[in-house]
Amino acid sequence: MRSWLGPILLFILIMVSYPLTIEFLEQDLEKGFYSLLWISILLSMMFSTEDIFLEDYNDGSLEQIIISSTSFPFMVAKKILIYWLMIGIPISILSFLFSLGITQNLSISLFLFPMALISSYIFLNLFVFGTALSLNKGSVLGALITMPLALPVLIVLGKSIIAIQFGINYLEFLLLLLGCLSIIITVVPFIVSYVIKTHLE
Amino acid sequence: MIKKFIHQFASPKTYLYQINRAYKYIFYSSLFIYTFSLIWGLLFTPEDFVQGNSFRIIYLHVPASFLSQSLYVAMAIASVTYLIWRVKLAAYLIIAIAPIGAMVTFIALSSGSIWGIPTWGTWWQWDARITSTLILFIMYLGLISLHTSFSNHEKADKLLSWLVIVGFVNIPIIKKSVDWWSTLHQSASITLTDRPSIDPSMLYPLIGSIIGFFGLIICLVIISSKVQIIKRESTKSWLKDYV
Amino acid sequence: MFNLAFKSLQEAIYMSGHGIYVWSVLIIVIFCLFYAFTHYKIRLRQLKKRLDESN
Repeated sequence: MRSWLGPILLFILIMVSYPLTIEFLEQDLEKGFYSLLWISILLSMMFSTEDIFLEDYNDGSLEQIIISSTSFPFMVAKKILIYWLMIGIPISILSFLFSLGITQNLSISLFLFPMALISSYIFLNLFVFGTALSLNKGSVLGALITMPLALPVLIVLGKSIIAIQFGINYLEFLLLLLGCLSIIITVVPFIVSYVIKTHLE
Repeated sequence: MIKKFIHQFASPKTYLYQINRAYKYIFYSSLFIYTFSLIWGLLFTPEDFVQGNSFRIIYLHVPASFLSQSLYVAMAIASVTYLIWRVKLAAYLIIAIAPIGAMVTFIALSSGSIWGIPTWGTWWQWDARITSTLILFIMYLGLISLHTSFSNHEKADKLLSWLVIVGFVNIPIIKKSVDWWSTLHQSASITLTDRPSIDPSMLYPLIGSIIGFFGLIICLVIISSKVQIIKRESTKSWLKDYV
Repeated sequence: MFNLAFKSLQEAIYMSGHGIYVWSVLIIVIFCLFYAFTHYKIRLRQLKKRLDESN
């Protein structure tokens, strides 16, 4: 849990470097901003799950946890929740601030905030699955494998921006994401625990 | 009786012996059907008057894109059998199918994009089907890279089958979401789904090429599963008799 | 149903401008299939040889 600052810094750096790459034309800034926002949330979540099990695996405490505790999936779910609280929520707040700063559009930024909260949680769960798959083989592999699984969420997020801009069925997108999240939260910890048990066999 | 048959067939030994008997028939008949229907399709069918002669790519493209998904389904079935009943053969099949699936998906993608040049005027379009096929291709590559990164084969098999299952759940979702997303961008273009009722002289070679390609890919899967079995069971004594 | 669509070989290769696409796809497919078959055949032979040697 030492590295909670890293992903947040990564996010800030991507966000700061975005206006630098475009010449300072206000109207152009908004165009590509949202897609960059979702991608940078995805990337920083990928970055944050890098060492979620690695340290415990290396010093052998993961094995002890599995043996001693009766519900390992619950432990995994708690771990993901803590990561979300420490990294996901700050990043969502930052994304609200950056979108306010770059697009100067309060209503869109307000609508973006819950989207960022939910999507960061979804991405965290997916990448935890990837990290569990490639436990001691470096996190790049796991992240690359689970990237395609995150693409539908990106598509929904991309479409939601248009829905927000035109002021139509924003709530549907939010509920859709919430539904995805509720399924993922319940399923992923079990799969992850099975996968980790396979690693330790 | 069926149960007994399945039990017998699930052991790599009987699988190997049975498959060797069937292999030649499958290979030569499907090779014959494939070449026959390709020659028929490429040289003998009349020209399509919307797309001209470029429609002949259909005989190469459709079998591949059809199989690219069914191979993933086969992998998913194999991985479920492996995780539930611990059938070793299923694990060998998963990793035997994965590179072939990647190859077939590559054929589908490349032939599709070449087909796109004369018909759409662009070799790539972010169309729903193309995008989901591309994602499928990336997933195949991911599966292969996951399996190759572990030296412990049994562990790799289990992890791989988990990934295959999760990916399988995701495939209809990807398809759905991509469909949904592209409806916004895409104006009507020629897709395979709403092709007008096809003339029998074009349809029969198409069916033939699908069947022939299917048979050839089955042969490939058989050979690569043989490779896997010999590689993984090299310490067993029956294998030495077999060789 | 079995009438040739083309009058000459030249025409069949050219396919009124679309020939390059059709034949290049055909080449890709044949190359992929051929490569895969030979690759696995060679691999199989290697493995069998190694097994023979270990006996």
